[in-house]
Amino acid sequence: MTATGWAGADRRLAAPREFFSAVSTIMVKELRSRMRGRRAFVVLTVYLGLLALIAYGIYTVVAPSARNQAAFGFGGPTFANASAIIGQTIFSLLSVFQLILVCFIAPAFTAGQISLEREKQTLDLLISTPMRPGAIVAGKLLAALAFVGLMIVAAIPISAIVLMYGGASIDDIVRQQVVLLATALGFGAVGLFFSALLKRTQIATVLTYCTVLAFTLGTVMLFIFWTVLVTRDATNVGPLGPTQRAPEQIVYLNPMVGMLDVVANTEPGGGGGIASMMNQLRGTPGVDPTLGGAGGQVCKGNVCFAADQFGNPIGNVAIDPGPIVPQAVGGYFWPRFVITFGALAILLTIASARLVIPAPMRFAFRRRRRGLPPLPEGPMTAEAGSRVASPIVDEIPSPADD
Amino acid sequence: MTPVIETRGLVKRYDGELAVAGIDLVIGPGEIFGLVGPNGAGKTTTMKILATLLPPTAGEAFVCGISVTEHPIEVRRRIGYMPDFYGVYDDLRVWEYLDFFARCYGVPAARRAGMIGELLEIVGLSDRRRSYVETLSRGMRQRLCLAHTLVHDPAVLILDEPASGLDPRARVEMREILRELRGMGKTILVSSHILPELAEMCTGVGIIDRGRLLRSGSINEIERSLRATALLNIDVLGDAEALASARDWLGTDPRVGDVLMTSDPSDGATRLEVPFDGGADEQAALLAAMVQAGHRVSAFSHATSDLEEIFLKVTGQQDQVEAA
Repeated sequence: MTATGWAGADRRLAAPREFFSAVSTIMVKELRSRMRGRRAFVVLTVYLGLLALIAYGIYTVVAPSARNQAAFGFGGPTFANASAIIGQTIFSLLSVFQLILVCFIAPAFTAGQISLEREKQTLDLLISTPMRPGAIVAGKLLAALAFVGLMIVAAIPISAIVLMYGGASIDDIVRQQVVLLATALGFGAVGLFFSALLKRTQIATVLTYCTVLAFTLGTVMLFIFWTVLVTRDATNVGPLGPTQRAPEQIVYLNPMVGMLDVVANTEPGGGGGIASMMNQLRGTPGVDPTLGGAGGQVCKGNVCFAADQFGNPIGNVAIDPGPIVPQAVGGYFWPRFVITFGALAILLTIASARLVIPAPMRFAFRRRRRGLPPLPEGPMTAEAGSRVASPIVDEIPSPADD
Repeated sequence: MTPVIETRGLVKRYDGELAVAGIDLVIGPGEIFGLVGPNGAGKTTTMKILATLLPPTAGEAFVCGISVTEHPIEVRRRIGYMPDFYGVYDDLRVWEYLDFFARCYGVPAARRAGMIGELLEIVGLSDRRRSYVETLSRGMRQRLCLAHTLVHDPAVLILDEPASGLDPRARVEMREILRELRGMGKTILVSSHILPELAEMCTGVGIIDRGRLLRSGSINEIERSLRATALLNIDVLGDAEALASARDWLGTDPRVGDVLMTSDPSDGATRLEVPFDGGADEQAALLAAMVQAGHRVSAFSHATSDLEEIFLKVTGQQDQVEAA
């Protein structure tokens, strides 16, 4: 063992490597203790079992009515259509359920990660190592996400049931996965942030779930109230223009909107109601505003119908879709949600990294960034305060020298 | 001698409360320096500053000549720090625990396996390599934590109360390990509020109380600087009368305090316990004078005042100074 031999490498080149090595160090340790024993596998099994049960439940409920709907509803009585309705309903509800579960599970894995280290008095040992706080925090977040990611990915086969029925494509499943992972990332970062901010895990957990509620329910309520406020005097009950609505950016923060948008994007028109809901949020309830005219259209597949302002089809006579393409009903919100949550996660991770350092020590790191004095080449002598040329490591014999 | 640890006018204030009030420490390479003081004296604060976990309010601290506030990360690479209170990741195995910290310090994979074996050997946990940390006894955890400070082979060890809460046997083991580490050339700063613990192994001692370093140096130096009222054990041959006359003779010396006649419970012999205000030279002179005066001195032993006495004396003096 030579004293600090590795530390002599060129720091500039070594910095990124050191960062990622620290991230992987934390990940390995976290995953080692997380995947140990039965707990992780029980959680995974329960999660998958629950989803499978939900999928089966949806099927038994929806299958008979789907056949009825196919027989008497739009598009003529075809088996293909009935099957698509079943597939689509399973996909929609499964996506929403999975999203709800992820909203609960992801913060649970991160809300204690820093505060528990504080409570168990292990944080001092960790931050007295040369690892950057950013690497510690990123490692913790990624370790939590690795497990949540495993749960999400392990559930793909259940979502893939819909491929047997139709109604949702592989693309839809990929989008669903992207939204789920973005949700896990964002809410995981929220949990980590509160965990780094607060001393007590309990309070961090409570505040994390409050934030999750604010994002999932609060944003929609805010959007609705805001819209009501700005439109209460308006006599126009037709599609609301952008100036008459709350800024739609509010709902970019809502994973549920992102997921419903994915659902709305599925082939047979996204379950009508959901698609029109998305269009409500966008201020284009099934109609291209350039067409003008009251009411609008709603499209199922390639067939469009006249629609009221809520996007509900009026009658069952197909009309000319005009310039509206069927895909226009969905695919708008989810990419925006994913980008917003990605940015949120990055910001919160950076903030958490600052908070991991004990408050009084933060200034030292600030000083580091504003041009720090050069590292002394040798130790300071007591008498004159002058630098000694030889590095200290040469003066202290290492055990290997003995 | 180049100091490995150096503090200059170190001050730390918590909410207006002075925890460390201007400490100047100079510790050379290869020393085991004991920081002794009652609880709340400022030992832990000083050590935390040196371990880059707390910034000083004023003053400077250097480890291996590197400022702890300007280059904390560089300092961390050179020190191994063991806090007074710490937790362990109990869902890890012993070797995984050390492996984790070795990775934290960037020790290459090729070196880790061998090094973990060596460290477990040093702290005597080789047979617990695959045990879970939670199954370890307190003493074992303490030794494991000590091992974790060594994973990156630091030049300096900062150990805050490494033997606190250990039974006597575990204390002895801990002491042996520290001695072994000193043999490996490490500079060790160790704190304790239990003084005899440090007396045997430290090359230097700093006595700290209420944030001030009251005395610093080797135990002998401190003793000398105190012109310690040494406690002499004097055996005089002859009957009780001879003993009494020796006692009376000693009583005439102004440097001698109240002489006690004690009987040793082990052999039943009676001897004199003489508090004597004078250094080694004066003690030798006293013995010579005593023999010249015709007292048949059979034993004249210098009951070395141990750290505990020194400590009580130093902090006692401080109290007197403050009372005056």
